[in-house]
Amino acid sequence: MKATIAQYYAGDSLLHRCDPRAKFVAVSALAVALFVRDSFAGLAVYAAAAVLAYVLSGVPLAWFWRAFRPLLWLVALTFVAQVVFAPGEPFFSFGFVHLSWRGLELAAFLSLRLVVLVLVGSVLTLTTPSIALTDGLAWLGRPLRRLRVPTDELALMVTIALRFIPTLLMELDTIMRAQRARGADFRRGGLRERTRSLVPVLVPLFVLSFRRADELALAMEARCYRPGAVRTRLHPLRARWSDAALLVAAAAVIAAGLLV
Amino acid sequence: MSGLEAGVGAESDTPRVPGAPGSAGMRLACEGASFSYEEARAPIPALCDVSFDLRAGGSLALMGASGSGKSTLLQVIRGLDAPETGAVLLDCAGPADAGYAALQREVGLVFQAPELQLFASTAREDVAFGPRRLGWPEAQVTSAVDTALDMVGLPPAHFAERHPYALSGGEQRRLALAGVLAMRPRLLLLDEPFVSLDPGTRRQLVGILERLKAAGVTLLLATHDVDLAWTLCDELLVLGEGRIVAAGSWDFSTAGGRLFAANRLREPFFVELWRRLGRDPQRAPRSAAEAAEALS
Repeated sequence: MKATIAQYYAGDSLLHRCDPRAKFVAVSALAVALFVRDSFAGLAVYAAAAVLAYVLSGVPLAWFWRAFRPLLWLVALTFVAQVVFAPGEPFFSFGFVHLSWRGLELAAFLSLRLVVLVLVGSVLTLTTPSIALTDGLAWLGRPLRRLRVPTDELALMVTIALRFIPTLLMELDTIMRAQRARGADFRRGGLRERTRSLVPVLVPLFVLSFRRADELALAMEARCYRPGAVRTRLHPLRARWSDAALLVAAAAVIAAGLLV
Repeated sequence: MSGLEAGVGAESDTPRVPGAPGSAGMRLACEGASFSYEEARAPIPALCDVSFDLRAGGSLALMGASGSGKSTLLQVIRGLDAPETGAVLLDCAGPADAGYAALQREVGLVFQAPELQLFASTAREDVAFGPRRLGWPEAQVTSAVDTALDMVGLPPAHFAERHPYALSGGEQRRLALAGVLAMRPRLLLLDEPFVSLDPGTRRQLVGILERLKAAGVTLLLATHDVDLAWTLCDELLVLGEGRIVAAGSWDFSTAGGRLFAANRLREPFFVELWRRLGRDPQRAPRSAAEAAEALS
């Protein structure tokens, strides 16, 4: 099964060992800086930092490519939209398409920015297990509890949702195989026919998911889960000097990008 | 003791068999079939050079520890996965031969827990799914559905219009089986069909499979239940880590015993009983009826 959402590459790099909170803060700050800064020089600094982080993570290129591939069309769309609709003195016109140097420059800048953003974001998800990530988010969201936002419950929901994506994909695969063994063909026919052919797949998948959710809720209650109760953790998050170093490095990179 | 259930025969509702008139079972041969699953870091081999021959109308028990490749083998035989090397021959025809796809459609595969794949709003609609995909005329579909429902002990007058999810677990399992039988398979592959069934339903299922066997349908049964395997199947195929470790007729010699132990199996109840009675285990009865006859 090839799940590209929130993929984690098990490893033991410097970045793998960093606290998820530090990584999340650093990545978010970098993402904001990426959007604030609009010069090629600043972008170059952030791109260099992103590539460095990626090299430090020790993730094989194929893994990054798999996470990136689904977003390729978004980058392409951004580029085309900018080229076509950007202002500037056109040097080439055809119908409603007006190519200008300014437009090309803008398109290149925005696409590159998107690529760097995806690179930075995927370094986070590739080096952080989804459970550590939601734990980190729950911790960062703690101030919201004053506003009665159930942050721990939300974090648990996200954790469960992420945990069951591979399971559901596997079940989907089994159901599709079973219906194929009964003669179903999911590749032939027009849009209408193909949509109809999904019914024998989606109905069992939904029934199964609801049943599983029911059983999971009962099992959690049987193990004394109570919403709203204060719970401790088996592996509490611990910040170390390396996390402080990561934050300082991120701050330095952001500042450098803003100043060049 | 599941072997004891056998031979008693199911409370036969209607012993009609949904095989087309005159259609005998299909011969199956695997020739050096290998298959591995794509994984992120390295492919995981699931089947290595699997070769065996099952005569038309024969019955074969596919056994082996969990993860030994039983389900994969069934899916490869049905053509849901193509073997990386080797081939699956149906009635001596290979994938390159004309009519192979048609032969594949005559192979029925009952998945593990097939009741999880029910989807239609009535039992009839669910069973009719397969026959309709085969492009049969509606009259033929209706008769195939009725026959299949009868066959699994869900008389259409009573069950055809019920909602599949309103049936009991055992009824759902039999309904899912009917969905495969309605396509009139000449080779039936079953993946752990007895798991989590109550004894009554198991007995019914054994009765259904015995009737299919008597009608000449070739059976390939993947199961952990040695007693039911002994009752239903003439031959045995043991897989271990994707390779065949034993194939052919049941062997209860010392070597056979070692093989059973090495693959997390045990001897069938009647075989052990015969051994303890000082009789030839190789000639142990297959059912309680046979045992009673031999002992009286």
